[in-house]
Amino acid sequence: MFLHKLKLLHFRNYEQQELSFNARINIFKGNNGQGKTNLLEAIYYLAVSRSFRTNYDQELVHWNKNDFFLKGNFQKGEDFYAVESAYQGFSKKFKIKVNGAEVKRSDFIYQFPVVVFSPDDLLLIKEGPAGRRRFLNLEGSRLIPSYYRKLKDYQKVLQQRNRLLKEKRSNFFNRDLFEPWDRALVSLGSSIIKQRISLLKNLEAQAQVFFEQLSGYKEQLSLNYVSSVTMADLSEKTEELFWDQLNQGRGEELKRGYTLIGPHLDDFLILINNYEAKKYASQGQQRAAALALKMGEVNLFCQARRESPIVLLDDVFSEFDPERRLQLLNFLRQREGQSFITTAAPFDKQGLQEGEFAIFSVYKGKINHEGARVNPGKNAPAEKNVASIQPKFDH
Amino acid sequence: MSYPQTLEKLVESLCRFPGIGPKTAQRLAFFLLARPREEVVSIARAMVEAKDKLFFCSNCGCLTEIEPCALCRDSRRDRGLICVVQEPRDVLVLERTGQYHGLYHVLHGALSPLDGLGPEELRLPHLFSRIKENNVREVIIATNPNVEGDATAAFIARLVKPLGVTVTRIAFGLPVGGDLEYADDLTLSRALEGRREM
Repeated sequence: MFLHKLKLLHFRNYEQQELSFNARINIFKGNNGQGKTNLLEAIYYLAVSRSFRTNYDQELVHWNKNDFFLKGNFQKGEDFYAVESAYQGFSKKFKIKVNGAEVKRSDFIYQFPVVVFSPDDLLLIKEGPAGRRRFLNLEGSRLIPSYYRKLKDYQKVLQQRNRLLKEKRSNFFNRDLFEPWDRALVSLGSSIIKQRISLLKNLEAQAQVFFEQLSGYKEQLSLNYVSSVTMADLSEKTEELFWDQLNQGRGEELKRGYTLIGPHLDDFLILINNYEAKKYASQGQQRAAALALKMGEVNLFCQARRESPIVLLDDVFSEFDPERRLQLLNFLRQREGQSFITTAAPFDKQGLQEGEFAIFSVYKGKINHEGARVNPGKNAPAEKNVASIQPKFDH
Repeated sequence: MSYPQTLEKLVESLCRFPGIGPKTAQRLAFFLLARPREEVVSIARAMVEAKDKLFFCSNCGCLTEIEPCALCRDSRRDRGLICVVQEPRDVLVLERTGQYHGLYHVLHGALSPLDGLGPEELRLPHLFSRIKENNVREVIIATNPNVEGDATAAFIARLVKPLGVTVTRIAFGLPVGGDLEYADDLTLSRALEGRREM
């Protein structure tokens, strides 16, 4: 998938900006606070209809304006899509149009696949298991059709069961009352665990390839699922083990008043050369591992949907040595889809060929295209005359 | 301009109906005002009468005007069959099929610790004594196909089976007359699970 053109009006620190992109690699240089990340955010917002930084549309509006408008020309395969997003601050109304026809926000998600990597993604490695579970759940929901419904049901069962445990804390244990919730917990939980393990295996295979290339084939990445259900071997009968351990832990659960076993407490380990990345890896290695997870996600997505997502890399070069930078650029050159990269450091082209990249400089909410001619991609569309939702601004 | 107080009160009262907002309430209020007095009185009377005369059968929990209810009295119905449902309106729906000739048991909810609904609140002990006292052959569980409904079904099945009674759950799957391609994934996967040999 490609984004050929982008128009921003009153979005974050951009008053008005129109851009044409390269179909391969686009690089945005500039000092801190000039609007590099805001531009990635605009692309993400246009494709997914939400931001990766905030849940409040109001924050996206230019500081002395009331509304924002974005328009992008996407290409998927041989088809062209003009996508428009408009937000009105007064009414808090939001509209999306695709090729001139209004679309519901909920129908829009995942239509235009984008993957973003920002410095926050490092937390995936550094912080506690909650972030990693969220990552697995998000990927599971995207890639496995039944995953989201199962997860929702599991969470409901868990809440009901926890309430039961709290109520009965001081009273005697009533096996009949627990049985139906225990069964549901084990059956949904085991199925979620199994799906996560297979998802993680697929992700590992993809992330490994990227990680090894990035490290110049000197380091290895592995991902190990760690379940609260003790299993000597992941292929073992999860359901039986879960059931037995749930019953063994009953006393402790009744004392504490909540469920102590299940996928809601699981985690996965990220290992570099068999050492836990969280504890033993350097900042650069951790960043490479986090990036490998994201790029693994990109490749999984390609396999599942036969489409290359747009990749947005926010400030990814800052902690990489020259070798890793070169390898990352090589990866981006070799992959099918389009990439957008921001950097605060001077950018070294390192063998990028004419026509496969474009450099833009970002300064105080203005973007200028530098040097190389923009390659508009094959048969870029002639601007169609479609009814626009672009608001009229009176100055 | 604000409404006369009586009108305001009427709109406010109508607002309490489920699914009725201020705008619809206002529309209903003006509708009532435009009708002849007798008609309005008869509507009001119908509401009060329903409230006064209807109650839940102490045996099965169905909505009724007489105790025990017409369904429980009907000697032509099969007393060896009990169908367990969540809500009184579910009985009406099942009756409309004309396919079922047994008795009912209305739970008025499903097991949900979060809402404080346990076996006693759902009158499950009463169901179990009905089964034991009336030589029931089969219990059909028709609770809703969601987390709470499934847990309720599992709870009942576990306690009723040891009594030597057949416990069945109604089938889930495709709406009749529909197209396979329009079914959602979950319905379809439950329909696959519950497939039958031909």
